[in-house]
Amino acid sequence: MSHAKLAEIFNKDEAKVNWHDKALWYVREKRDTAAHNVEGWEYLRDLASGIKANVLSNLDNYLVEFEKNAQQNGIKVHWASNAEEHNKIVYKILTQNNATKVVKSKSMLTEECHLNPYLESKGIEVIDTDLGERIVQLAKEPPSHIVLPAIHKTKEEIDVLFQEHLGTKPSHGDPQYLTNEARKHLRDKFLKADVAITGVNFAIAETGGFVVCTNEGNADMGVHLSKVHIASMGIEKIIPKEEHLGVFLRLLARSATGQPITTYSSHFNKPAPGNAMHIVIVDNGRTEQLSREDFRSSLSCFRCGACMNTCPIYRRSGGYSYNATIPGPIGSILSPGMDMKKHSSLPFASTLCGSCSNVCPVKINIHEQLYKWRQIITKEQKQPLVKKTILKITGMVLAKPKLYAVLGISVRWMLKYAPRFMVYSKLNAWGKSREFPKVENGNFDQWYKNRKNNG
Amino acid sequence: MKVGLFIPCYINQLYPKVGIATLEVLEKLGVEVYYPTGQTCCGQPLGNSGYEEDAKGACQVFVENFNEYDYIVGPSGSCIHHIKEHFDILEQTEAVINVRKNSYELCEFIVKILGKTNLGASFPYKVGLHKSCHGLRGLKLGSCSERMDAYYSTEEELLKEVKGIELMSLTRKDECCGFGGTFSVFEEAISVKMGKDRIQDHLDNGVEVITGADHSCLMHLDGLLNRNNQPLRVMHIAEILNSCI
Amino acid sequence: MGTLINGIKTEKIMGRSSILKSIKENKPTLISLPEIDVNSFEETINLVEAFKKNVVSVGGSIKELGQIQDLDPEIKNRYPNAKRIFSQISESALGNVQISEQTKPKDLENLDLAILKGVFGVAENGAIWISDEQFSIRILPFITNDLVLILQKKDLCLHMHHAYKIIANRERTFGLFISGPSKTADIEQCLVIGAQGAMSLTIFLV
Repeated sequence: MSHAKLAEIFNKDEAKVNWHDKALWYVREKRDTAAHNVEGWEYLRDLASGIKANVLSNLDNYLVEFEKNAQQNGIKVHWASNAEEHNKIVYKILTQNNATKVVKSKSMLTEECHLNPYLESKGIEVIDTDLGERIVQLAKEPPSHIVLPAIHKTKEEIDVLFQEHLGTKPSHGDPQYLTNEARKHLRDKFLKADVAITGVNFAIAETGGFVVCTNEGNADMGVHLSKVHIASMGIEKIIPKEEHLGVFLRLLARSATGQPITTYSSHFNKPAPGNAMHIVIVDNGRTEQLSREDFRSSLSCFRCGACMNTCPIYRRSGGYSYNATIPGPIGSILSPGMDMKKHSSLPFASTLCGSCSNVCPVKINIHEQLYKWRQIITKEQKQPLVKKTILKITGMVLAKPKLYAVLGISVRWMLKYAPRFMVYSKLNAWGKSREFPKVENGNFDQWYKNRKNNG
Repeated sequence: MKVGLFIPCYINQLYPKVGIATLEVLEKLGVEVYYPTGQTCCGQPLGNSGYEEDAKGACQVFVENFNEYDYIVGPSGSCIHHIKEHFDILEQTEAVINVRKNSYELCEFIVKILGKTNLGASFPYKVGLHKSCHGLRGLKLGSCSERMDAYYSTEEELLKEVKGIELMSLTRKDECCGFGGTFSVFEEAISVKMGKDRIQDHLDNGVEVITGADHSCLMHLDGLLNRNNQPLRVMHIAEILNSCI
Repeated sequence: MGTLINGIKTEKIMGRSSILKSIKENKPTLISLPEIDVNSFEETINLVEAFKKNVVSVGGSIKELGQIQDLDPEIKNRYPNAKRIFSQISESALGNVQISEQTKPKDLENLDLAILKGVFGVAENGAIWISDEQFSIRILPFITNDLVLILQKKDLCLHMHHAYKIIANRERTFGLFISGPSKTADIEQCLVIGAQGAMSLTIFLV
């Protein structure tokens, strides 16, 4: 279903829409406060944007440099062209280590690769250890937001879920109680896991190391209690030097949640003695996006979610309306490149207000890329005949002043004199919830002509 | 200084009052205003729908009508933004470059080019300013709440000087109204919800009249206000600047 | 299925070589790296006050000690129920858990309190750098129920750019910036202190 259809369904429950909108607007406001407290915030964004532009123009060399340095430190580096290869590589490492129980911290890349169902089909237990991810995992739902995966769930819904799966007592959605129970439950999983899988927030070419940021400590609880650490990263997560983390870590949490930094920013360079560390570097459509001059900079994204929090459409339609692993504004410029047919409605799910581009820490011109995707999609995807025909005819009429004058008169006549039932019919989406403008006698052309004639 | 008056297509047909107010305001300021009668539309509705190629004809007509003027002024931030940004699809002849360079939204023209802020207007009402997105973020008519810039607002500079006006403060200073051109019909549910929320913000803050520099936004809000019989009206900023009550 | 070339399966080479080839073909002309002008971020603020304020805002507790001898009484006061305590601070006598070469990470499952030395702190975000140069078992600061860090007031810097200069020449194994106790807001945006890591973080400034 298109975004418009799914959004319409979401909007049937206005109270829920208001709740969802207010929750995310609150996060946007926290981001604003945090950004105001940073001397030189806009300069930081310029730097981040410039560093990422350099990265994309030198990506192959940085990846090779990263690989060399990582290997020198005892990290095994793997490369996966696509999701399937990634999943196979991860599974291979698991079998080599006789692993059947896996704990996984937040990684949108592993969501993108659909890693969990793949491993589960092979009889591996995968526990998502980020609390929000664990909630949606128990609910058998995908995350609806890349940073706040369970933002769409009320605390009462979570309470019922935990009663069923964790055996908690009914608590009217007491967040403290539920979080404490989840802690006990997850601790048990950490202690029993064979392998820990994490994502990568930033990989550093200069050192061969990488950084994983969490508030809960779940990535570290997983990694340091097991013997094998697998970290999955998209090729674009690389940055040139460790000093650049100064820029990115100052931007990340403030943009995402309004915190000055996440609780834990863990810097991994070498596996602990006796342990193994693996990195899987994944393409999965990223080199193809790299080839698209207009959309290349979307690869600068480091998944902070700020664009989703500010987007008035995302807040009022929810992540599921996008039907894409990464929803919201950034998802709408990444997804059509991966599957244009499935995601053709996404670039149109926007008023092009431009707020997303202004909150993006790496200054991706998201709203301009949305406009550009629209031009491509109308050419490459079959459009509704009525919409296409009306727009093409309009284009012709607007190019001919005399024809335009006739159209203007016809539209005005229709609005003024046609019976209400014709103007406000079901075919006419504008009129479903809005009145049409009241048409005056004469348009501007006529007024101006009269004024000229009357001297 | 010869100014070509650009009257957006929907203002010409549906809101001629706004065009009239724009012309009168400019003339009161001593500007020599010309109105090329062959103008049609800037092509924005097609561009935003993904058919910018099909709008090339309309864009050419625009350039032909306006390239002889020193400035092109229009009462619409989104249309002016479209001209400045998206006429890049035309061959960049001298005429096209000039038209793109010399196009101004009305408020910006008055404050930046004419250097005026007090127009001697009088409008003793509680007014809420809707900061339309393309004017705000596209033309940078003002600072926006999500960027860490020093505060400024071209529209407020003009409105502050209007006698008797009370500029009310909104809860969300610059959230989009949900019009978005064809978005308003193709994503109708969200468009309406966004419009309703904007209106509620104005109502919550005691606004009597919603104004702005883009009548497309105001048309969308007006449609909702009238359907729901809400005690607010909309007026384009040109009409307020032109009023002496 | 891949055949072996020099002991490396071709399918493994192909993933790497096809990705690198694709990048080479598709990347734009080189854009140079911007220089970071750290002076743009300068602020004349009281580092200790800013640090304290930010530690509290991220959910941590912080206290300036008049003298290091006050440490144990303060800790006993804050954590009266802590039984199993690990300490790497020579001025504290509270440690009763030993960590040796034989200690396995899971052995620390029931650790109540860890008292560790913070290397330095960052004023802008209340974060402290610690690394496995100081504690050999990496799980230590995470698995402990509560965490205490001792920090010298003179070891504070303004922001992360300075921080990375400070650790630029370290032995790179594993380290982290820790800012406050573990926390989550995943349940209806309600902030809960104490998620999967330490339930509390107390910093003593000396």
